[in-house]
Amino acid sequence: MCWKAVNRTADFKSTIALRLALLFAVLALIAFALITLVLNVVMARELQRHEYEQIESRRQDMRYMLQHARPPGIALRAREKIEALTPTDGHAMYWLWSEDPDFRYGQELTTVLGATVGKAGMIELDIDGRHIHALREELVASAARPAVTLVVGVDTRPFARTAHSFRVASVLIALIGVLLVSALGYWVARVGLAPLVRLSRAIREIGPHNRAQRLTLPALPSELAQLGASFNAALDRLELAYQQLATFNDDVAHELRTPLGNLIGQTQVALTRERGVEEMRELLQSNLEELERLRQIVADMLFLARADQGERASRLQAVSLAQEVQKTAEFMDILFDEAGLTVQVQGDAVASIESALFRRALTNLFQNAMQYARAGTCITIDIRSDATHAYVAISNAGEAIAPEHIARIFDRFYRVDSSRTHQPASAGHGLGLAIVKAVASMHQGSVFARSEAGTTTVGLAVALSQGVGLAS
Amino acid sequence: MKVLIVEDEAKTADYLRQGLTEQGYNVELAVDGIDGQHLALQQHFDVIVLDAMLPGKDGFAVLRALREFKNTPVLMLTARDGTQDRVKGLQEGADDYLVKPFSFNELVARIQAITRRGNVQESTQLRVGDLLVDLISRRVLRAGQRIDLTAKEFALLALLCRRQGEILSKTVIAELVWDMNFDSNTNVVEVAIKRLRAKMDQPFGVSLLHTIRGMGYVLESRE
Repeated sequence: MCWKAVNRTADFKSTIALRLALLFAVLALIAFALITLVLNVVMARELQRHEYEQIESRRQDMRYMLQHARPPGIALRAREKIEALTPTDGHAMYWLWSEDPDFRYGQELTTVLGATVGKAGMIELDIDGRHIHALREELVASAARPAVTLVVGVDTRPFARTAHSFRVASVLIALIGVLLVSALGYWVARVGLAPLVRLSRAIREIGPHNRAQRLTLPALPSELAQLGASFNAALDRLELAYQQLATFNDDVAHELRTPLGNLIGQTQVALTRERGVEEMRELLQSNLEELERLRQIVADMLFLARADQGERASRLQAVSLAQEVQKTAEFMDILFDEAGLTVQVQGDAVASIESALFRRALTNLFQNAMQYARAGTCITIDIRSDATHAYVAISNAGEAIAPEHIARIFDRFYRVDSSRTHQPASAGHGLGLAIVKAVASMHQGSVFARSEAGTTTVGLAVALSQGVGLAS
Repeated sequence: MKVLIVEDEAKTADYLRQGLTEQGYNVELAVDGIDGQHLALQQHFDVIVLDAMLPGKDGFAVLRALREFKNTPVLMLTARDGTQDRVKGLQEGADDYLVKPFSFNELVARIQAITRRGNVQESTQLRVGDLLVDLISRRVLRAGQRIDLTAKEFALLALLCRRQGEILSKTVIAELVWDMNFDSNTNVVEVAIKRLRAKMDQPFGVSLLHTIRGMGYVLESRE
């Protein structure tokens, strides 16, 4: 259990917080790498320039001296100047060469001259295991001295060391930066996601025992508030369905209890005495009637359950709805006649329907209309269609049904007038209009009802062809 | 007529056997799919009543095995009325199906229908007691006296005459007379029977059209 809980939180982190931290790390890595690279390139250039300038300024110094010095003793003075200019660590070096041996100076002179002869610009030399950058210049002979070759060089080691230190430092800084950003990113993500964790904890606390509990929306950041609102709405719908189911179960139990009670009671009474054959036959017939009632309720409930599970009408045929209405009205003609009612059909539409289901719905709608129609009036059936659906509306003249009842007449076992509970078989089991609704949904349609100014209209819509989106 | 019942539920099997025996059928009983298939293949039956859910081997499998060799009419009994089962049964070669719980009458009517299929030579004049129904001229006479009926009343009476002595449920009547192929919950049939009775029974003193409570209606002479 404990392991499971830990694992769950780890999962959560690996999904969002860790991901964000990783993303930050990758971004930081890219940014720092770029910066480090650019800095190093710039640094290398600067060092190179600095090096060149150092050599160049030394060369210019020497050249000036050699060109402007007055005899006598130029060679000696040049030598003294070189020694004065040469730093103690020896990182700057001078070489002089001339036909005149007095103007010769520097270690490994022949090697240097050989390596630099005929080359212009910065020359690379390796002398005594030292890497040297040098510039060479030929000074033509003047009245005061012979032609002289001047070579000025610097040891590159200090520059290389500086560049290396800089590289190491910058890479280290970059790495530390990446680590810091990742850690901070992880922390930021966790802080940012904290409301989500709270939300999930709050959701986890909602169960069947506290169905009414809802998420407190003001406590949520605006991005999550919408999710929370949707979740609350979903809970509301579930709660409603749950309640309806609970009521429905009550109703079913009640509806089944009456026939079962009769069956048990009258059978027990019959068995307490010796009875004649005729009496027993009576009992069995009465039992049979009750059983038939039970069978009918069970069959209707199964039908509704199938519709609830999303079963769709099959065996579809495109037919004229007016004809279906006519046929059903013909079937019920005797009942209309008995009740002193007439029937009138207006309009028509062709739709793909399963005839048996549709007629069953119509029968129930007619029965409903008959129940509320005033004797001597006309029941009108109006058929029309729009782009997607056909609408069959059955209207009767009679006392209006109150709005609070109209809204619920399609509910299972809902009876407008509880005193009508013990109606003849024609009143059904209070499932008639629920079946109409089921039939409509099996045809991707809906039901509607309104009652005003002495006219009550109840009807259903069916999709013209199946596969069309649901209207409501 | 020999009937094979393949049904594992003891009470159901019992009442089916008793009921069908009393209706004059010669009944054999198998309580699981394996026995059922064996009997169905070894012996001749005029009709087989086959439950879909059976131990050993289910009804659909028995039906498939049977159909490889024989065309004995089969009436399937299913506990679910999901379309799936129905379609499956009929596809596998069942001749008809009934959804549990079904009425015994309905079962007898279906058995009669599938065994009668194809060898019906219907007469055009039907007689029950002193009632005469002429299907061609659509005339009805009782005790030599002409009775005027509406088209539906005539259709209803003709049906009852054709199946005289047989109890017809309201559902069957609604289906055959009005083409209403569902449990309708209405009392149309009751009212229609009441009206028919008023025309062809009441004026003549002796009843031919009887109500069997909880089951349906039967037309027969009980003298």
